[in-house]
Amino acid sequence: MPEPLKSKDKHGAPFTRPPEIEDCLARLESLNAAARLQAFASGSRKSSGYVPSEALTYFLRLAHATGAKDEFKQIFGLLMKRVGQSLFATVSDGRMAEAQGIREEIMGRFAERIAKDCNGRFAMLDFFEVRFDLAFARFRKSALRQIGPSSVLTEPLSTDGEEGQDISREVEEAAADFLGGDPQKIDDPAFRLELDAAIDALPDDQRRVVGLLRQGFQIDSKDPNIMTIAKMLQCDERTVRNRRDRAYKTLKSVLQEDA
Amino acid sequence: MSTPKPFAVDEESVLMAFSMEPSHGRETLERYITEYPQHATALIDCSIDLLHELPVADVSATEVPNSAVDKAWQRFERAVQQPDAEVANPFAKLNTSSFKSLARSLDVSNLFLMRVRDRAIRAATIPARFVEKLASELGATVQAVGAYLQGPPGMVSGQAFRSSVKPSVGEQITFDQAVATSQLTPEQQATLKALSD
Repeated sequence: MPEPLKSKDKHGAPFTRPPEIEDCLARLESLNAAARLQAFASGSRKSSGYVPSEALTYFLRLAHATGAKDEFKQIFGLLMKRVGQSLFATVSDGRMAEAQGIREEIMGRFAERIAKDCNGRFAMLDFFEVRFDLAFARFRKSALRQIGPSSVLTEPLSTDGEEGQDISREVEEAAADFLGGDPQKIDDPAFRLELDAAIDALPDDQRRVVGLLRQGFQIDSKDPNIMTIAKMLQCDERTVRNRRDRAYKTLKSVLQEDA
Repeated sequence: MSTPKPFAVDEESVLMAFSMEPSHGRETLERYITEYPQHATALIDCSIDLLHELPVADVSATEVPNSAVDKAWQRFERAVQQPDAEVANPFAKLNTSSFKSLARSLDVSNLFLMRVRDRAIRAATIPARFVEKLASELGATVQAVGAYLQGPPGMVSGQAFRSSVKPSVGEQITFDQAVATSQLTPEQQATLKALSD
């Protein structure tokens, strides 16, 4: 039985990992350390034996708790390689100046977080056992905010993945406008990815407004029962509109540059 | 409605719960923001991340240099060797009644738990399974509790309990000695001794 997580939900019960992760842990627990390490070594998500990073995190922590130093170091190395690889895509050389240094700094900070978890009063890695990619994306973003370059270049990203998601009318219109009125572009997955990346690079306050608009929230409402963007961000609706306009202006210039 | 929640729901726990919801659409986000207004911005950011998680490119062509992994390892080693300045006392947050209920849930006498808390017992003699149980009841990690127990013996100020023995900072005793002399029932003693096996 895999160890339960330390973090507790609002009812005081330990969080559970997604069932597929629990299954994977149970399967890996039946293997010996050497066989497990071999399974961890596959870094390609497409390969059939790929072990999710959530499981690597679990066994990393377990190796530390049980004093299996050698195993710990090896899993640490494998996990760092994966993290490093994901950073090639998100902190790419084409998109940022001095990307190599930034990637290494983020890896170093992640190493320090692992150390904190090992020393720990806090369960610093629980989230990584539940949804590694999401947890790491949040970690990366907060690190980038502290150390990242002031200007972010954009680049076309690869086109696989990303199933269709509804884009709100407002963004769609704006996006169509960016491209000199070519609404076909918005259906182009490559463009969608560029748009996502450009939105991702916006300052926090603008990114939140655009993100909430895309989810279909309205800026304000006379009906007090409706959750609006102004309410969620606790600011005036004019501030929200301002941020939206500034965001669109930035997106327009970034995307036109690329087009 | 001033009943305190059993613990403060920290940001990461809220985000974890949110990320595990079957859908992350508008309704879910609204529900979470209403319930946890203090984490509204973190929830919004998280929902945006979930909305357009960039596809993870399978960049097998680009190899992460070993030097980068080595550098990360060095930073790990430095950080792990300099733990937070002082070892926190995992008992510090307990008040009288929660201390007693901790003793009850561990099925030990208050005196025994006080000896553990005051580090009157040599850490090396405390069975790992007892430390594990204690850590899980305290909601702390085994390492944190273990590190605390290894500190020098002393009386922890600010906490007072009625006791039938005079409190003092004395020689540390062994776990077995503590089991034998802490007003434990024979059953409790047997259970604790079994932990050492």
